[in-house]
Amino acid sequence: MPIQAIPMTLTQTLVMGLLQIVVVLIAVFIMVPLLTFAERKVIGYIQVRLGATRLAGGHVGITGPMNRIMWSMGKVPMLSIVRGLPIFIADALKLITKEDIIPAKADRGVFTLAPIISVMAAFGVFAAVAYYPGVMFYLPKGFPIVGGLPFQGFITDVNVGLLFILGLASVGVYGIVLGAWASNSKYPLLGGLRSAAQIVSYEVPLTLSLLVPVLLAGSLNFKEMSILLATGKGLHPLAIIPLFIGFFVYLTCGFAETNRVPFDLPEAETELVAGFHTEYSGMKFGFFYLAEYANMIVVSALATAFFLGGHYLLPFGLQRFIPETVPFLGQPSFIFFLGKVCFILFVFLWVRATLPRYRYDQLMDVAWKYLLPLTLVNLFIAALIRFAF
Amino acid sequence: MSFLRTLIPFDIAGGMKLTGRYFGKVFFSANRKKVRTEIKHFTQEYPEVAVRLQPRFRGRLTLLKDEQGEIKCVCCLACEKICPTQVITIEKGKKEGRKMPFPVRYDFEMERCIFCEFCVESCGFDSIILNHQFELAGYNREDFSLGMEGMAQNMFEPSPVGRHSVAED
Amino acid sequence: MEHQLETIGRNMFAIFGVMALCGAAFMVASKSAVHSVLGFLFAMLCVAGCFLSLDAEFLGMAQILVYAGGIVVLFLFVVMLVELSKFKEKGVFQLQTRSAVIAVIVGGVAFLAAFRNLLFGTASPEALVLRPELAQGLAVAQQNAQAVSRGLFSDFLLPFEILSVILLVALVGAVVLAKTERV
Repeated sequence: MPIQAIPMTLTQTLVMGLLQIVVVLIAVFIMVPLLTFAERKVIGYIQVRLGATRLAGGHVGITGPMNRIMWSMGKVPMLSIVRGLPIFIADALKLITKEDIIPAKADRGVFTLAPIISVMAAFGVFAAVAYYPGVMFYLPKGFPIVGGLPFQGFITDVNVGLLFILGLASVGVYGIVLGAWASNSKYPLLGGLRSAAQIVSYEVPLTLSLLVPVLLAGSLNFKEMSILLATGKGLHPLAIIPLFIGFFVYLTCGFAETNRVPFDLPEAETELVAGFHTEYSGMKFGFFYLAEYANMIVVSALATAFFLGGHYLLPFGLQRFIPETVPFLGQPSFIFFLGKVCFILFVFLWVRATLPRYRYDQLMDVAWKYLLPLTLVNLFIAALIRFAF
Repeated sequence: MSFLRTLIPFDIAGGMKLTGRYFGKVFFSANRKKVRTEIKHFTQEYPEVAVRLQPRFRGRLTLLKDEQGEIKCVCCLACEKICPTQVITIEKGKKEGRKMPFPVRYDFEMERCIFCEFCVESCGFDSIILNHQFELAGYNREDFSLGMEGMAQNMFEPSPVGRHSVAED
Repeated sequence: MEHQLETIGRNMFAIFGVMALCGAAFMVASKSAVHSVLGFLFAMLCVAGCFLSLDAEFLGMAQILVYAGGIVVLFLFVVMLVELSKFKEKGVFQLQTRSAVIAVIVGGVAFLAAFRNLLFGTASPEALVLRPELAQGLAVAQQNAQAVSRGLFSDFLLPFEILSVILLVALVGAVVLAKTERV
């Protein structure tokens, strides 16, 4: 869809940007606790348990009367899936109200700075992610300063959006490493060193796997890339092969970058207590937690936009088989984007409940011996398809 | 060859398939079906739903009655003798129209009971049983002194604290 | 409001430049090696901001990706493993203050002498392209990344390759040094 440049004064640009940032932040702050709740539930179901059920499912409290009636009728109470839902409020309250301990021998400045860097890097990435490649709605006329202006589905339209995302994601590792060092304790230090080595290693195949869509789309702009890769205009049909391989490589590296199981060696409980955040408590720990889940959302959004067809229905450029005239399925929609992001987040939890943790040497083997050659071959295939056909 | 085998993650796919199947099964059974039918998960929603106990579960000691409502115990004192913690005290007595001896008192001090079920095994008349009551908490010491009908705490009524134990059978 | 914002926007380069200098000063002045790395990281990010304020997005992002994301992490990695208490008494990190100051002054004078004309004379776009008559690609390119890649891989291919050979020399030298130490 064509997007006309809307003439805006600097003040309007600033206010509009702030408005969009606030909306995105609120969305992330809602999504992250929901994700922790989903994690409890999904892993519970996979382990043939029920997960959290107690917070709104008991005989007492606000929902108590309703639940009693439902139980006496011999039925699982309504809202059964979300019976433990208020647990995310409880989680947040617990983190905020907990005592914030700084170890006596810790480097206080760096100790405080580390979670801030983590969160800033994780949230800064959202600036370049396009949730919808166009105008979502128009603000009402009466709105102060920016009344009547379009509210777009992205905060900024950076020309080199992908590089911006990769760069900020690589800055995120400082949070972990500095936090580990500042704790002045042996387990966090070991966890931080592992994390630095792991993230620097996996950044190589991650970046190379993202080069495949860059090569095929011929652009570094997030919005342009996602539209072009989804609609498949100008793409050879065979381009599905490198995209398909690249998707799995990217997802694997995404798991490693976000320190999720099976690559969660920085926080391996068995040998490192809790890894880099052993000495952290209270909201500082909460920031690390927040950053991890925000990173998961970013990885899902990137995988969605570049490999799974972004705002369109079908992944891997298959959308070309649906003509644009089809009313709903042929049009880009925010719902498709959200659905795919949620699916990949579900895969994150699914994998966590399935796979055991890798050993450290296996971890490095996977990155350097398997994923790196695979991505190079994949990149070669993509270049062949791009230029030979 | 082993390079390719490692690269193409069949094993991971197999594991994901298994866990995915369990997820689907539990997800649909836990949220759609009624409580007592087709439960696929192991979590027991205890206070709301009665607990499914093993048949061998050893709960509180209970005196059984026969079809006429007579207490089956004949005061042979086998249970009192075999009890390792000596929590059972029986006082023999007579009752009108009954040939066998009749327990005037049958005291059971639950606070010392170790729920070993020796008394039930030693009973030749099948007159006592450890039932499926497990909510045996009390607010006073006296709550654990159980006896015959007529006493404040007796073995024929369910425990005053728990209302969710399976008391039948 | 509008006016102030425009002023800030015009002076973005100066703001980032001063911040980068502050970061560099912190790096030199701080006692702890990890704090130095932090100051260096801050300076690198501010340099990226300088590039951004000159409309060189690709360079700015490459700066973040390569320096902040790769090289400084490795610095940190090494510095974290060094036992600082050993070196604190010896004052290894503050050993060469005098020679460093002299080097900075000489370097600054040389830099100013070399780029006097560009800094105070002609416009900055020409300053970025050292020999404008060579850079055919810049006119063709529509995007920043294209401009850089055309510059690197067509117009200035030979200097680029020679630079990479110099880097290779440094790598080989590092390997040789490490090997001799072990034997």
